[in-house]
Amino acid sequence: MTAERKAEDITAVRMVINWLGLGLFALLGVAAVVPLFFIIGDVYIKGIDAINSLGGLRHFLIELPPTPYDESGGIGPMLVGTLYMTALGALLGIAVGFPLGVYIGEMRKEKFANVARAGVNVLVEFPTIVIGLFVYAVMSLAKEDLNQYLLGPLSNAISPLGEWITWFIGPLDGFNAYAGAAALALIMIPYVALITASAYASIEQPLREAAYATAGREFNALFVVLRKAVSRAVLTAALLGTAKIAGETAPLLFTALGNLYYAPFTGPTAAVPLWVWYAAQTPYEVQIASAYGAAAVLLTIILIIFIVARIRG
Amino acid sequence: MAKVEFKDLRVSFGALPVITGVNLSIPDRSITALMGPSGSGKSTILRVLNRLIELYPEARVSGEVYLDGQNIFDMNVLELRRKVQMIFQIPNPIPNLSIFENVALGLKLNRLVRGRGELFERVKSALERAQLWDEVKDRLSAPAGKLSGGQQQRLCVARALAFEPEVLLADEPTANLDPENTAKVEALFLELKKEMTIVLVTHYPPQAARISDYAAFLYKGQIVEWGPTKDVFTKPTHELTEKYVTGRLY
Repeated sequence: MTAERKAEDITAVRMVINWLGLGLFALLGVAAVVPLFFIIGDVYIKGIDAINSLGGLRHFLIELPPTPYDESGGIGPMLVGTLYMTALGALLGIAVGFPLGVYIGEMRKEKFANVARAGVNVLVEFPTIVIGLFVYAVMSLAKEDLNQYLLGPLSNAISPLGEWITWFIGPLDGFNAYAGAAALALIMIPYVALITASAYASIEQPLREAAYATAGREFNALFVVLRKAVSRAVLTAALLGTAKIAGETAPLLFTALGNLYYAPFTGPTAAVPLWVWYAAQTPYEVQIASAYGAAAVLLTIILIIFIVARIRG
Repeated sequence: MAKVEFKDLRVSFGALPVITGVNLSIPDRSITALMGPSGSGKSTILRVLNRLIELYPEARVSGEVYLDGQNIFDMNVLELRRKVQMIFQIPNPIPNLSIFENVALGLKLNRLVRGRGELFERVKSALERAQLWDEVKDRLSAPAGKLSGGQQQRLCVARALAFEPEVLLADEPTANLDPENTAKVEALFLELKKEMTIVLVTHYPPQAARISDYAAFLYKGQIVEWGPTKDVFTKPTHELTEKYVTGRLY
């Protein structure tokens, strides 16, 4: 066998191994994606059917949930509760998580920053139901004093503005939207903080120096100039974090509790994932259908946020 | 009178001494080149002069540095950095910002302008002085990252010039540029020295010979030789200097 012939054989063997390897990885890729499409497909096929049978999309998004004896119904209170708690939780999560991330990422040599980083790393892996339980415990301890000294008088002072305001501000029940939002924020804070920290830590030194030379004050260098440099990563973190908390159920079990009606946010508040969790367990077909419809709506909200994050990030 | 004066400057990073007693006077409206092999402390001297050295928590600085007779460590750091601007080896426009915003941002954050009209005029003037205006005037809102490497570096010069600095520090500003863009930046410096003091760190002795009025040769954290560039290159008094300027010491 000539040397050339040998080389050709080796090349052929390598090509076969390469194809086999690539094929295996493609198979693994398909294995990862197939369940995703099954879940999305299943939820949308059953969900859209359910929404149509329960009175159409508009009706479904506005109306109260069906009782076992109804033929139509919706998830109006749940949608409002989810949007309210997610928005509040995301705002709080970004407001605390972003500066915390800058601190952890930029002040890496400070001892307390390392302690904070360790804490955040633990918190991001925490079971979310424990976070819900913690907020429930804090709420139980603080509720009476909070109501007596702050929210009661505040509510009396602002009530002349109209009854609508008591839907937002007033003495709190043990379960309320704010406790739910706080639990969601606690889930989002470490998530945003860690992504922000790693984005800041990856900034190259020349850019950091340029930021300080340009910005003057350290605050401006960190929170204006360098934020613009990492804005995409931070925006992605904020959006994906929001998508994550929008679908959380466990932390709301002890905090928002759930509700079947439109009700003040100071008391038990409905949420889409809570309704899915509750309704899917009932033996009533109409409620199971409504759970599928609710799951499709929830999935749509999360997919929209996810797509925006991908496009903008 | 010297524009900038270093007196027994010493800098160490942790236990590692980087500058071990530098005395140097930098004349006004001239280009002073700091030359020397890697690790000789050239860039550190620049970072002391605008106090960016304070971004390095492990750095310890002693000695005195004067700008127009005023100790820079007694000055307000914002005022100092406005007067002493810097450009870097790697062009570093702020990502995700347009060409215009890259120059305007510092002016806005430091509240150096009143109103949009003045802001535009200052940005335009800075871009003109950096000899970039004609190339970008029709696309000021385009991302700065879309510019070529040479244009990005001149944008960084414009960003610095927008502050109307008295001293411009340049840390190997042409190290990443092709010969054509290098020539443009060098010509720009020769123009700018008429109105400000330029301190140029360079790795490349011919560049110092081409454009600097004064040259200092640093070696292991100390100034080996200092004087008018012509003298340093044609009549070096120290053997190390001679080796360096003739390319026998890296």
